Amino acid sequence: MKKQLLSFLILLITATVLYGQGRTVSGTVTDEEGSALPGVTVTIKGTTTGTVTDIDGNYNLSVNDGDILVFSFVGFDSQEMAVGSRSVLDLAMSGATELSEVIIVGYGSQRQEDLTGAIQVVSAEKLAEVPAASFQDALQGNAPGLQVVAQDGAPGAGISIRVRGIGSINASNEPLYVVDGLPITAASADVTTTDFDNGGRSANPLAAINPNDIENIVILKDAASTAIYGSRGANGVILITTKQGKKGPAKVNLQANFGFSDFAFNNLLQPLNEAQYRQLYVEGRINSGSSATEAEALTAYNSQFPDLGDTNWFDEITQTGKTQQYDLSVQGGSDNITYFISGSYLSQEGTVVNNLFDRYSTRVNLTGKVSDKLTVSNNLNLSFSDQRGITDGTRWQAPFYLAYLMAPAVPVFDDQGRYYGDHASFFMGGNNPAGHLHDDRREREQTRIIDNLSASYEIMDGLTFKSAWSFDLLSVTDYIFANGRYGDGRNVGGTAQEATTSVDNWQGTQTLTYATTLNNSHNLDVLLGYEAQRVNTRQIDTGFEGFAHPELRLLSVGANPQANGFRSRTAYAFNSYFTRVNYDFEGKYFGSFSLRRDGSSRFGPNTRWGTFWSVGGGWTLSNESFMQGVSFIDNLKLRASYGVTGNANIPNSGNEDGNFRWASLWAFTPDYDGNPGAQPLTVGNPDLTWETQENLNVGLDFFGFNNRVNASVEYFKRISSDLLLNNPLSSTTGFTNIFSNVGDMENSGVELGISADVISNNDLVVTLGWNQTWIRNEITRLDEAILFGDFRREEGRDFQEFYLYGWAGVNPADGTPLFYTDETKSETTSDINEAVRFYDGKSATPDFFGSFNISASYKAFSLSTQFNYQFGNYVYDSPGWVIHGDGRFTPRSTSTWAFENRWTTPGQEALFPQHSWGNRSGSNTRNSSRYLFEGDFIRLRTVRLAYELPTSLISKANLSRVQVAVTANNMWTWVKDDNLHFDPEQTINGVYNTVTPIPKTWNFSLNIGL
Amino acid sequence: MKHLIRNILVGCTVLIASSCSDDFLDLTPEDAISNENFLATVEDFQSAIVGGYSQMALADWYGRYMLLIPDIMGNDIKANASANRGAAWALYTGGPTTDQNENREFWQELYEAINIANAMINADYTPPTSQQAEFNQVLGEAYAIRAIAHFDLVRLFGQPYTLNNGASAGVPVVTEFDQNSLPSRNTVAEVYAQVISDFQQAINLMTIAPGTATTFSREAAQGLLARVYLYQGDWANAEAQATAVVNSGRFALTAFADYPTMFLDGNSSEAMLEMSMTLADNRGADHIGGMYKETGYGDYLPSQDLLSLFSATDVRGTLFLFDTNLDNTIFASADGLGRRVDKWPSAGAAIATDNISVIRYSEVLLIRAEARARAGGNDAGAIADLDAIRFRSDPSATATALSGQALIDEIMLERRRELYAEGHQIFDLSRTGSDMVRTDCSTPGACTFTFPNDRFILAIPQVELDTNPQMVQNPSYGT
Repeated sequence: MKKQLLSFLILLITATVLYGQGRTVSGTVTDEEGSALPGVTVTIKGTTTGTVTDIDGNYNLSVNDGDILVFSFVGFDSQEMAVGSRSVLDLAMSGATELSEVIIVGYGSQRQEDLTGAIQVVSAEKLAEVPAASFQDALQGNAPGLQVVAQDGAPGAGISIRVRGIGSINASNEPLYVVDGLPITAASADVTTTDFDNGGRSANPLAAINPNDIENIVILKDAASTAIYGSRGANGVILITTKQGKKGPAKVNLQANFGFSDFAFNNLLQPLNEAQYRQLYVEGRINSGSSATEAEALTAYNSQFPDLGDTNWFDEITQTGKTQQYDLSVQGGSDNITYFISGSYLSQEGTVVNNLFDRYSTRVNLTGKVSDKLTVSNNLNLSFSDQRGITDGTRWQAPFYLAYLMAPAVPVFDDQGRYYGDHASFFMGGNNPAGHLHDDRREREQTRIIDNLSASYEIMDGLTFKSAWSFDLLSVTDYIFANGRYGDGRNVGGTAQEATTSVDNWQGTQTLTYATTLNNSHNLDVLLGYEAQRVNTRQIDTGFEGFAHPELRLLSVGANPQANGFRSRTAYAFNSYFTRVNYDFEGKYFGSFSLRRDGSSRFGPNTRWGTFWSVGGGWTLSNESFMQGVSFIDNLKLRASYGVTGNANIPNSGNEDGNFRWASLWAFTPDYDGNPGAQPLTVGNPDLTWETQENLNVGLDFFGFNNRVNASVEYFKRISSDLLLNNPLSSTTGFTNIFSNVGDMENSGVELGISADVISNNDLVVTLGWNQTWIRNEITRLDEAILFGDFRREEGRDFQEFYLYGWAGVNPADGTPLFYTDETKSETTSDINEAVRFYDGKSATPDFFGSFNISASYKAFSLSTQFNYQFGNYVYDSPGWVIHGDGRFTPRSTSTWAFENRWTTPGQEALFPQHSWGNRSGSNTRNSSRYLFEGDFIRLRTVRLAYELPTSLISKANLSRVQVAVTANNMWTWVKDDNLHFDPEQTINGVYNTVTPIPKTWNFSLNIGL
Repeated sequence: MKHLIRNILVGCTVLIASSCSDDFLDLTPEDAISNENFLATVEDFQSAIVGGYSQMALADWYGRYMLLIPDIMGNDIKANASANRGAAWALYTGGPTTDQNENREFWQELYEAINIANAMINADYTPPTSQQAEFNQVLGEAYAIRAIAHFDLVRLFGQPYTLNNGASAGVPVVTEFDQNSLPSRNTVAEVYAQVISDFQQAINLMTIAPGTATTFSREAAQGLLARVYLYQGDWANAEAQATAVVNSGRFALTAFADYPTMFLDGNSSEAMLEMSMTLADNRGADHIGGMYKETGYGDYLPSQDLLSLFSATDVRGTLFLFDTNLDNTIFASADGLGRRVDKWPSAGAAIATDNISVIRYSEVLLIRAEARARAGGNDAGAIADLDAIRFRSDPSATATALSGQALIDEIMLERRRELYAEGHQIFDLSRTGSDMVRTDCSTPGACTFTFPNDRFILAIPQVELDTNPQMVQNPSYGT
């Protein structure tokens, strides 16, 4: 195969060298506004001789005086010019339409209408509509097929993205992020050994990149577009292209943002007040028999809380959040050098007291022309961030857990003015949710340098060699401190943990591209490449205990070093060869083929190399003669692609290093009595290899009614096989599982996107847009069902179908819980041991999701709004069994929802069973549908109003542009389920933890151009 | 062909020569050793045995649950209102019990220890002659770990040997690694046979007396083997192994004055095998002590029954802390005061640093006393052992003047006084065919259980049943 390709390429090169003409004509091709147009085909009419303009729109061509030059470029009208006696022939091409957008694709770029794959572009303007620390936020609702979930509403938190559903059970489902050609470290899990990030929910290495530095984001969804990324393309690829300078005088842009935030969801749980808590306390003791009389129970209450308070812990831990961002950028350039330089400061104060995210970042993107042939460029991004956060889940220090569990009878402060901790011996370790936010620390510092250095050399017309060297240097330090007076550190005089991860990621990419037009109608684009990447990770995690003074928190002043720290050095490497051929005939018929051979150190020696490929085709029906009579169609194109990609994202698991899960190893982490020990770590699997994904995509694009309406519909089917899975072993082997390639899964669906300018005149443009995605998931092969938390993975079922005990409500007669005995739901029981878990057709996978938007511009005003929605999914309240445990964990408190809906009187229809001290009824059994809710929601994601100040006004101040805008995010939310008391958007896998609720934000921005 | 492409690509020159070679992808971990390269020196075996002890010291085995669960299933310890960890076993009710952390972790962690021991025992390695004794010692320790793991599994998951001479379902005996094995349950008798054989191997191999009681010694193995025989009702062998320990002369009962801090200081004169707990281990509330103390989880409390066993002058009756939060509640002791078990008194910065006993000399004497009393014919010998324990902890004690069943009953009471909260009670009840009766019981339905009882043993973990079709669940635990 390779041999043929190579011969083909050599043939092409020689073919185009074999011509000779009289003299040379040169010139520059621009668009109507004077911007250079690269890639314009310039041919001599009636011959196959021609060339293509370079990056600055320049061309050279040997001609004779009588020749006529044909300039053609998709999206522009073809133009002909006679050479005559001229030696310089410049041209400003006209007729540019919306279709002519050039889109960055893997290892190159393509014109939109040449695409055979499923590709979505999100522009810088869309990024601006959602002011956030990370660009990922702005992808929500703006790209069909993408589920974008901010699981945690804290500043700088992580964001999960699923492109066309879930393709993998155990390997990552996150897409590959590529910044200016470099696949970068995106998962917080890869850069930490602590729980600062709450399993990835609360921190985001991608927040290092300033969204204002981004030119656009391209999402590659199908095999035709992702196969060029081989063993890493299966979850989709997100290409981030940063801004480049344009030739011309310096343009300075200053942007200032100020915003504030509160919680978006107004049905959040509320904590009890002291009177309510006291009532439950007394009632619970009497119901359980712990106290015989109310007086006895009250005596116990009074002795339990000698310093009685009446605290609303939710209010104590929350505040109005504030955001400020200042951005300054300068861009411009001469014939030989273009530059984009920016500096940015972002400061976010969260909705939780003392939570923050501060980022300082700079960027210098330079491109220099060394000679006609040689261009060098370097993109350098330097960023530092500071983050302070909280813990989530059901850990005792989690504020949104404690807010309900900590008794309102506990005061915030003691009589010395310190945060109260005297309940340390009898109430949840003396945790004080407000105190932790002041006296304790959970901090992360991240330093990141992303650099892309490249040189490209034009060997001959159309043939370019490019050598790109990229680096992503990332250093993360997490610091976690718990004070010695109350809470987790109380018994040991305080604990501090500090952990550093540094990741060095380098990649060298060598490509050869050749573009030509044969016979004025066959356009050919060929890419050949070789790439090597290596990622080294070093981690150190240490702890100290014993701190002498409340103001002393650093490791360096701790008295007792802790031995159970963690140290590791690990690495992985990729080695790849790839090629792609794009072909089209007269802009009517398109074909593409790509192939990548990937080797990865992460796989067993038996299966280290794999081959990935795709084919794609397109047919522009509207260019056919039989379609010419249909006047309302401007462009109609049918696309189809098929190919095979892979997923090499093997996760770490416990102590197992994801880079070496194929190996049989003894690890040296155990120690005993001060001696180092060894234990078997992994069974090892020399046949371990990537997950394979077959990907079929069929799409239809429509532009019509003078380009006022555009629509796309896509059908896709992703068939994942050889799924990486912890295949369970009998524990009697000494191992619980072997990591192996078993199981198949299928995702299929339809994506629809429509946008229409319903009103379009000189002053007023109103655009309506709608996109929606329907997805179906099914596990198509799995030898043995796997129980996983609230789920059970079973062949023939949705991957995310819940498998729970069936809650049948409360017995009105006596307030005991009722569970269905089995899936027939025909009988109920109060004894959980007589009930079994079963499927009930409820899944965390939505039936469909999408967004609807309206934008309007009237003179200098523009308004944009977006509604996001999701239907048909269920969400599980993971801390519910504790917060709503009907007294199981007394004396812990609960929510007003539980207080108001508990059973108290025989005959009463109640939502919650009888409250009983130490509740032994099993009513709060985990994995119960009692804690499962409908997840359907509609949310007003964005309302943005912007106003451009009139030029007449600002020109006096020598300004070129002044825009003021106000943006409101998440202002309104509708949920289907009245009993849902957490934000439905805060889970990607259907299981909610006690994270910071998603904020609604008001943001004011000022944009000044000099 | 590959070479041709490589040459054509201009970039693949000096700069990336390294990345073009095959070793670029041939990475090996720098902090682990492959199976092929390990267990190739005596030092490797010594590292592996430390891994074995680390396993034993886990909170899921001797660090906590092996001491906790057998006691909370009995009548000397009761659950506090907030009891969470292990509550399903303590209350014999509540949540579904086939998939609790405790039975799952016992199963997984103990078989992991067995796998470590098997790797050492089955390794194809011959030490140099100069290191033969060291090698034998460490190999003996491996046999001992394999023995105690199988023994703990069979007494947690199988009915007592004495019920029917070990005819009930025990646990799989695993002596070789096979990643594909899906074993069925051996009988209790088969497991006991393997345990006895392994302890005997260990006793024969171990000749070096360790410096502390934190690793196996020949005598620790003998003491545990005495316990195994006692569980079997083999009084002669139980007495013989106990006597071997006594005759070694290596141990003496901890003195009265040192008794309360026996575990805090560790390595007392009677310590035979105990799990080392250091500041660096940082167990916090997950130490067995944390299950009882207010400063930890405080999930469990001493029953009024237990407290009533101690005379006013018995030092063992003083190892309880007061807890005023429990005063005058149903969780208080008979005098209305709240009390908490304080056998592991470490506190403050040193919390959770008490060593945790696996076997100590007091138990060996009590084993011998019981074996002698039950065998009959040597009541005087039994009383001598019993009174050694009694006089040590109670200066006002008077000589025992009992015989026959009364003497046996007294020895069983003495076991409770001496060994409460150290993981014996449910085993002592079931191996002697006794009912479990809680007089001081706050949970209706969890107060009286007659012998034999399906619930005196744990459920086979659900995950094993799901994975291994050969596995059969214990009766009364569903499928």
